[in-house]
Amino acid sequence: MHGSASAAQVILGLSPLAVSLTVFVLTYAAIVTEKINRSIVALLGAGLMIFTGVLNQSEAVAGIDFNTISLLTGMMVLVAITQKSGVFQYVAIVVSKWVKAEPWGLLVMLSVITAVFSALLDNVTTVLLIVPVALLITDSLRVPPYPYLFSIIFASNIGGTATLIGDPPNIMIGSAAGLTFTDFVVNLGPIVAIIFALTLIPIYLIWGRKMRATPEDRAQVMAFDAKKAITDSLLLKQSMAVIGLVIAGFVMAHHIGQEPGTIAMFGAAFLLLLRVVGKDAEEQSHETHRTWGEVEWVTIFFFVGLFVVVAGVEKAGALDLLAGKLLELTGGDFPTTAITILWASAIFSAVVDNIPFVATMIPVIQKMGTVFSADQLSTLWWSLALGACLGGNGSLVGASANLVVAGFAERAGQPIRFLPFMLLAFPLMLASIAVASVYLYLRYL
Amino acid sequence: MTIQSISYYSPSIELRPESSLLDALKLMLEKHINHLPLCDDKGSFAGIVSTQSILSELIPVSARMEHGLADLNFAGDATRLLCSHLHSLEHRSVGELADKNVPVLGEDCPLLEAALLLSQSTSPLPVIGKDGKLRGMLSRRTLLAYLVQQASV
Repeated sequence: MHGSASAAQVILGLSPLAVSLTVFVLTYAAIVTEKINRSIVALLGAGLMIFTGVLNQSEAVAGIDFNTISLLTGMMVLVAITQKSGVFQYVAIVVSKWVKAEPWGLLVMLSVITAVFSALLDNVTTVLLIVPVALLITDSLRVPPYPYLFSIIFASNIGGTATLIGDPPNIMIGSAAGLTFTDFVVNLGPIVAIIFALTLIPIYLIWGRKMRATPEDRAQVMAFDAKKAITDSLLLKQSMAVIGLVIAGFVMAHHIGQEPGTIAMFGAAFLLLLRVVGKDAEEQSHETHRTWGEVEWVTIFFFVGLFVVVAGVEKAGALDLLAGKLLELTGGDFPTTAITILWASAIFSAVVDNIPFVATMIPVIQKMGTVFSADQLSTLWWSLALGACLGGNGSLVGASANLVVAGFAERAGQPIRFLPFMLLAFPLMLASIAVASVYLYLRYL
Repeated sequence: MTIQSISYYSPSIELRPESSLLDALKLMLEKHINHLPLCDDKGSFAGIVSTQSILSELIPVSARMEHGLADLNFAGDATRLLCSHLHSLEHRSVGELADKNVPVLGEDCPLLEAALLLSQSTSPLPVIGKDGKLRGMLSRRTLLAYLVQQASV
């Protein structure tokens, strides 16, 4: 798989290392500038890796992690169908009434459900469903929405860190390293819960303790009828049952010798079957078409392109060099390597998309397997996952969910500005990484 | 023949773009009309404000925005919420909500063209003089009443 074997295939007899790195750097630079849609850039980069002879087509296809692709697509289909049932609004209203619509309690509950949903579904969908309800409630209570939106952003990124399916970096890491759903929950769950609870402290000190709502306004929220938020109770039962089975499948995947991608795709097809059974051909076709249409193909093709670009630099040996440099930097010392990966991932992910970063880091960490034991390697995976996911909190562009919330805030006439957000979010993110460092040190190093 | 032969409403009721939305609403309720033309201080047309655009401002923004709440059945009557939004209209100007993109009719606009534009519009349309000043508003009702009279039906 390494450079020298295929050097002769590269155009004009150029060095595969130089050619692949040029394509890689151009692709990543174009992704960062965001002038052209990232999925187009990634696929063009992938094409160049093949046309220049760094990879042939079958090597390129072999570089695509289809477990990640199926897991992402399957979950997108499940969520696209489920969200139509109104279940997320239902839960948001129920928990708001638990705390008697008291502003601070409400902020905590909305953050908790955002974190839980983000752990089980993708973050963007979660905030798309929670933010409108949160805005209606803050509107009814006549309290400023900003603290709620800020907390929802943090909760979605923190919650998403906890599970295999919570955030795309985790899906990629789990798939590449063969880590199970349970591995993620057992290793990342505790620290995610701690960071979540600690994050609420500054939010309370800055905003929470000053929040007030009149009894009349609270009564208005208490009058919300959660049951009426359920728009389709049959759909609700079907989708909850299938999602429950899929998650149970993830937990057992390792024992039954199946990959999560298969389970998610099968679940998606099964839920689609439940939706179309008994309908005529035209209705079936319409329903199926609409559901596939809701898959975020931009994300899927972005992944496909990136996997090929990374396979190119990997085959040319660039990632061996990077892994070597990284080990040189840390002196091959294991604790230093783990902490360096954590902090570097966090800072990178705060300012650029964490998906290309993680896609590149995965093979780099795999190559460190020559120096570190299997146990040590799995600690490095947790460093990467914690850094890449929590880093998303560092700025408004750190994660797609942040931008979705900012979009809502803008439309609601309460824009979240880049710098004021970062002024609080970046230090808070660094604090969460400091807490994660302590956790890694005490538990693994 | 042009629309000049129709006695359209002259702009007896005018608001300035900086008038408050609450005043505009009260005026419309008092005069039993759904649309008000706005003129700037030179008398030039500056848009139309309607009861529809004011009512939609009272709806929570979470239901009005893209990807927002699809229905509000669960939220009950929420009279307090609607009233509190109504109160906030006092501090907002009509200019903010004015629809400036309505087609305008020249004073010499032929009848058929005016009928076409009105058939495509949900609001009465402003009639503008050559000097750019608002002459009045032509509604579907006025035009239809004129035609009924002409056809002697």
